[in-house]
Amino acid sequence: MAISDAEGETAAAKEGGGERKRKRGAEKPLAKWRTQGEHKTYSSKLVEALRRVRRSSPGPSTDHSRSHAVRAAADRALALAARGQTRWSRAILSCRTLKLRVRARARAGRPKSLGGVATAFASRPAEKTKPPALERKARVLGRLVPGCRKLPLATLLEEASDYIAALEMQVRAMSTIANILSAAGLQPM
Amino acid sequence: MSSRRARSRQSTSSSRITDEQINDLVSKLQAVLPEAHIRGAERVSAAKVLQETCNYIRSLHREVDDLSERLTELLATTEASSAQAAIIRSLLM
Repeated sequence: MAISDAEGETAAAKEGGGERKRKRGAEKPLAKWRTQGEHKTYSSKLVEALRRVRRSSPGPSTDHSRSHAVRAAADRALALAARGQTRWSRAILSCRTLKLRVRARARAGRPKSLGGVATAFASRPAEKTKPPALERKARVLGRLVPGCRKLPLATLLEEASDYIAALEMQVRAMSTIANILSAAGLQPM
Repeated sequence: MSSRRARSRQSTSSSRITDEQINDLVSKLQAVLPEAHIRGAERVSAAKVLQETCNYIRSLHREVDDLSERLTELLATTEASSAQAAIIRSLLM
């Protein structure tokens, strides 16, 4: 398994070799996203979900709606991998169907994909004359991480770091699968 | 410091969250960011860390979107059984 090994190693180098076994204790809870086991579990779940997407929409409906479905399936699988221990994962799992409908309509105007709970996010009129920069950035961050818009800063930071680690694993797994698929496509067996 | 202002607002909604706790989380976040090994242990301001975090999350989202599109195309074009066999073989090896 050359590809994921190389990726796992470069990614885990920062964490100091936590790739083979899960770290016990709460020292580095983020290391769980870098283990080979987690990577494999997520990849197989993702493949299952991809197969379902493929079966559910056989004709090329639109590339956008299908890539959207793929993204949704990947996010759902990622949230499942968190085993309900983080807010963002719970938010993804509970809000997914709702978001799908709202976002399909608003897709044209909105460049950002994942944006918290699917309520109409009204732009703020001059709420404060000079909001502290830290507050503003914290709000932006809260919008980026699903389900974290009203959290206090400390919780938000924790959620954000876990979310980032999970996203990194998602990117690694998806690129691995994409590489395998394109390689398989080139060499018909 | 602006973080003190932020804290006084949040102390109504949450129990004691100390500045130290927040600084600790900020430095943990900084360690996860991609340029952490370049910066070393240099203390960056919390606002900068938050900004970089937002940028990083956005770029990760973009990557996931691009990968989703790529996977969608690949799903449409590749032969089902051989692709799955290849994936399963590589995953289990």
